[in-house]
Amino acid sequence: MTEKEILQPEASSVTHVREARERIPYLAAFGVLVALTLVEIGVVRSAGIPHRAAVVALIAIALAKAALIALFYMHLRYETRILKFTVLGPLVAPAVYGLLLMLDSAARHMP
Amino acid sequence: MSSTVAQEHGHATAAWPPDAQYGTATPGKIGMWIFLISDAFSFGGLLIAEGILYAGHRPWRQAGEPELGILFTAALTFILVCTSLTNVLGWAAAADGKRKQAAVLLGLTAFGGALFLVGQFQEWFGIWAPGLLREGLVFGQSPRASTFYVITGYHGLHVLVGVAYILAILAGYLRGRVNERQIELLGLYWCFVDFVWVFVFSFVYLLPSLSGA
Repeated sequence: MTEKEILQPEASSVTHVREARERIPYLAAFGVLVALTLVEIGVVRSAGIPHRAAVVALIAIALAKAALIALFYMHLRYETRILKFTVLGPLVAPAVYGLLLMLDSAARHMP
Repeated sequence: MSSTVAQEHGHATAAWPPDAQYGTATPGKIGMWIFLISDAFSFGGLLIAEGILYAGHRPWRQAGEPELGILFTAALTFILVCTSLTNVLGWAAAADGKRKQAAVLLGLTAFGGALFLVGQFQEWFGIWAPGLLREGLVFGQSPRASTFYVITGYHGLHVLVGVAYILAILAGYLRGRVNERQIELLGLYWCFVDFVWVFVFSFVYLLPSLSGA
């Protein structure tokens, strides 16, 4: 590593900064996020979807939206694998707790 | 070499050297991520608590309590998504050296955040229409009401802090004291607010409304 590389005051903190500066992925993610939100409203409003399928759909859509925000808008897509794991790894445990809780709730209220 | 020593010797401020595991992520960025993970646990705890209460209380919506405005909240969700976009585009503009564009986009982000807060104020207290409090969703009177106000209030507090954070960074940027790295840190915080809202919207508004409970 040269001294010039080390002493760059404006060096980016995003590892793959060239890709991160592309605007199109951000706009595409925006379109998908808006579309998914509309689908969520559709799932809640439509009476024909079985309750369990609607619950699974809403949770899956929420996870997809959160992943899009973390990967694109929070730049995780442009970071190293280790940083991605450092951030997303600890969130798995509470997600599992939450899932178990919902399964427990669903089982106890089954007709 | 510390930045002070570097400046005394006429060198530029030292950047954090690229790391094999964390790339060019700065200590400030790693610190922000650690803060956000701990904050995510706080939100996770609140949402799990809501889930436990929801499982044990039927009907979830007590007699006389209003329904939550799904469409209105969907509009607030749209505003937050828009601000995540303007924020990240603001960072990209700053990274490209387009200072004016970056400042405008950050200003729009702050405006969107303020708009979200106005919407939440309307939802709780009412401005142009009666709010939930007046319609009968009163804190402490049911688990639904209490979890609703605690979770959305905690999130709203994050939005409020975020708007102040954006304005502080914007002021510093206009004075030339803030660079794109600090704008990226701001972006991590701001988009985390949107990230969390995805789950708040699903677990507080959408999922309980499925059963009409």
